[in-house]
Amino acid sequence: MAEDTLPELAQGTPTPDGPMMARPVRPAVTLRSFWGNRSRPEGTGTGIVIVGAWGALVLGSALYRSDFLSHQTLLAVTFTMAIVGVLSVGQALVAISGAILDLSVPTALILPSWAIVSLLGQGINIFLVILAALAVGGAWGLFNALIIVFGKINPIIVTLGTNFAGAAMLNILFENAQTPISSGLAKWGQGKFLGLPNIFWPMLLVVALAGYFVPRSRVGRHMIAVGGSSQAARARGISLRKTRFAVFVISGMLSGVAALLFTASDLYFIPNDGSNFLLPTLATIIVAGIALSGGAGNLWLVLLSVGFISTVTTALAFYGLSDVWQQPPPGAILMIAVSIDGYRRIRSRR
Amino acid sequence: MTLSSEGVIGAQSPASARQGWGRFTELAGGAVGSIGITLVVVVIVGLTWVGGSFFSKGNMTIIGQAAAVPLLVGTFSGFALLAGVVDLSIGSNAGFCAVVFAYLAAHGWGGWQAAGVVLIVSLAVGTVNAVALVGFGANPIAATLGMLTVLRGLAYVVCYGSAGGIPKLIPGLYSFTNREAGPLPLIFVLVLLFVVGATVVAMRSRVGRHVRAVGGDEVAALRAGISVTRVRSAVLLLSAFGAGLGGILWEGQLGGATNLLGTGLEFQVYAALMIGGYSILRGGVGNPAGGAMGLLVVAGVTDIIDVKAVNTYYTNVIIGILLVLVVFLDRLRGGDSFE
Repeated sequence: MAEDTLPELAQGTPTPDGPMMARPVRPAVTLRSFWGNRSRPEGTGTGIVIVGAWGALVLGSALYRSDFLSHQTLLAVTFTMAIVGVLSVGQALVAISGAILDLSVPTALILPSWAIVSLLGQGINIFLVILAALAVGGAWGLFNALIIVFGKINPIIVTLGTNFAGAAMLNILFENAQTPISSGLAKWGQGKFLGLPNIFWPMLLVVALAGYFVPRSRVGRHMIAVGGSSQAARARGISLRKTRFAVFVISGMLSGVAALLFTASDLYFIPNDGSNFLLPTLATIIVAGIALSGGAGNLWLVLLSVGFISTVTTALAFYGLSDVWQQPPPGAILMIAVSIDGYRRIRSRR
Repeated sequence: MTLSSEGVIGAQSPASARQGWGRFTELAGGAVGSIGITLVVVVIVGLTWVGGSFFSKGNMTIIGQAAAVPLLVGTFSGFALLAGVVDLSIGSNAGFCAVVFAYLAAHGWGGWQAAGVVLIVSLAVGTVNAVALVGFGANPIAATLGMLTVLRGLAYVVCYGSAGGIPKLIPGLYSFTNREAGPLPLIFVLVLLFVVGATVVAMRSRVGRHVRAVGGDEVAALRAGISVTRVRSAVLLLSAFGAGLGGILWEGQLGGATNLLGTGLEFQVYAALMIGGYSILRGGVGNPAGGAMGLLVVAGVTDIIDVKAVNTYYTNVIIGILLVLVVFLDRLRGGDSFE
């Protein structure tokens, strides 16, 4: 926070009631003001830190095992990034808009996945299946939003409850599901484009669209305003209800997109597979510096952050750690990232 | 400034002034009242749907055995909720502790020594939680979800060499956990006594007042000279310690431990505690007795579903709906509303 405001001060931004600022101050040309000119994008510092950590990780792994720097690793990392990346954008929108966290990610992913697989099994046209996936995902978001908005209940509790009930319902509805291997979706999911997995590209598109439109579009700016201060947003005539509905429906539709990538790449799944995706989305948005207190965050950083976290899990295999060691490191990263997030908040308050 | 702090301190004292009938109606109308009514409903449903055998000795033993550990773990972590922090790592912590206990016992350690080491491990987990949450001000839900994953992963690591589970029956502990006191299992009775003690500590003692003050209004508690840091760290250690204790008892009951033990316990416990009048988002509300009733409601629903041989996943569907419903009712009564 403090860092972000410094360049503005150096340029002598006029403050109405500051006697010291009565006459315009000629900006002192420092490196910071030079670089910080013309509104440095939000979260540049966080981005540099992620890139640094990522670089160190890649360098360290490459020194330890020279075969780490291979096309195979790149494929594995980008493959892992796809589903988590799309889900994280949805989670990020929830956090930015002040709804804190959506704990219903597992159900939000598996419900549309099940719909996709069922429809594909009946030989329905893929375009209709895609529409259905978005509709089912959006409907789940709408369901959560209805309870949050009309019940005026905190989203964490609502999504805790709906996920608890929803995951159980999924287990009642089906035991396991399989994407038809001959379907176009399954073939597309195994394919590559420009040397990277096909499922990577929709994720890139989702992050790009969100990164571009959230700070620029009307609804996106409303989300940021509501997350910053719901009272202030309301005073400015922004409808809290409409914004909450928009956030959860968009986030739900994104989980529909993630479900398409999931069913295209994981041809066989069980209802409980969704629970593997909650923690990575939280870790991703927190490492990306998206404040859990709402109102701040740069969605482009989701791309760096999900890349870093996917590289960690991929790199573990190269350190000779068996599969059982896959779980603790992401958990530890989440704890450390949340601690840094908390520390920053305390420091900025002082 | 002085006015507001006096106001807050003043607001706490009338509770003890209310007595007799007024106090009774206040209790019946409050969170504890509604959970009491829910519990009665569950018992009536049990009696009409399952029949008289719902209260048979066999069924009481099943309910008591199944409810003892969640009740113990939930009562400990209820103190964390009371102080305004939530510890989602309790389920994994209990499972991890059970696995470590079984591992040590299977590798020639004596029961008491192994238990001592496990409790130290659980306190170490609590210390890490306290450093992250209190020292760095990390978001409790996200940070302890990280700890949950770390501990679940470590449970897999401990069980790696033994196909996901360590069978180790500890005769003394096994017979203790299976002993009976009248119509109920002994450990269930002991845990109920502990709940009574915890309720007295939480609602009537100086320590309990401090915990509730920190959860209710951090700033006011600081002004009243209570160390928020110390209280919050202490309750996180307590919560982890409860999970360790629960893990040891679990291992005793089951005669072994698997790497999946305790998965989802945290959600079940917190859903039950919230049904029982606690809140995971604001401290200072709820009490151990109400929380215990919430846990008994969940245990009762689970048992009815089991006895009727309905798909056990319906238990979670009911708990999920009950959770949202109860929080909604709490809001209608003047709880925090979210906009």
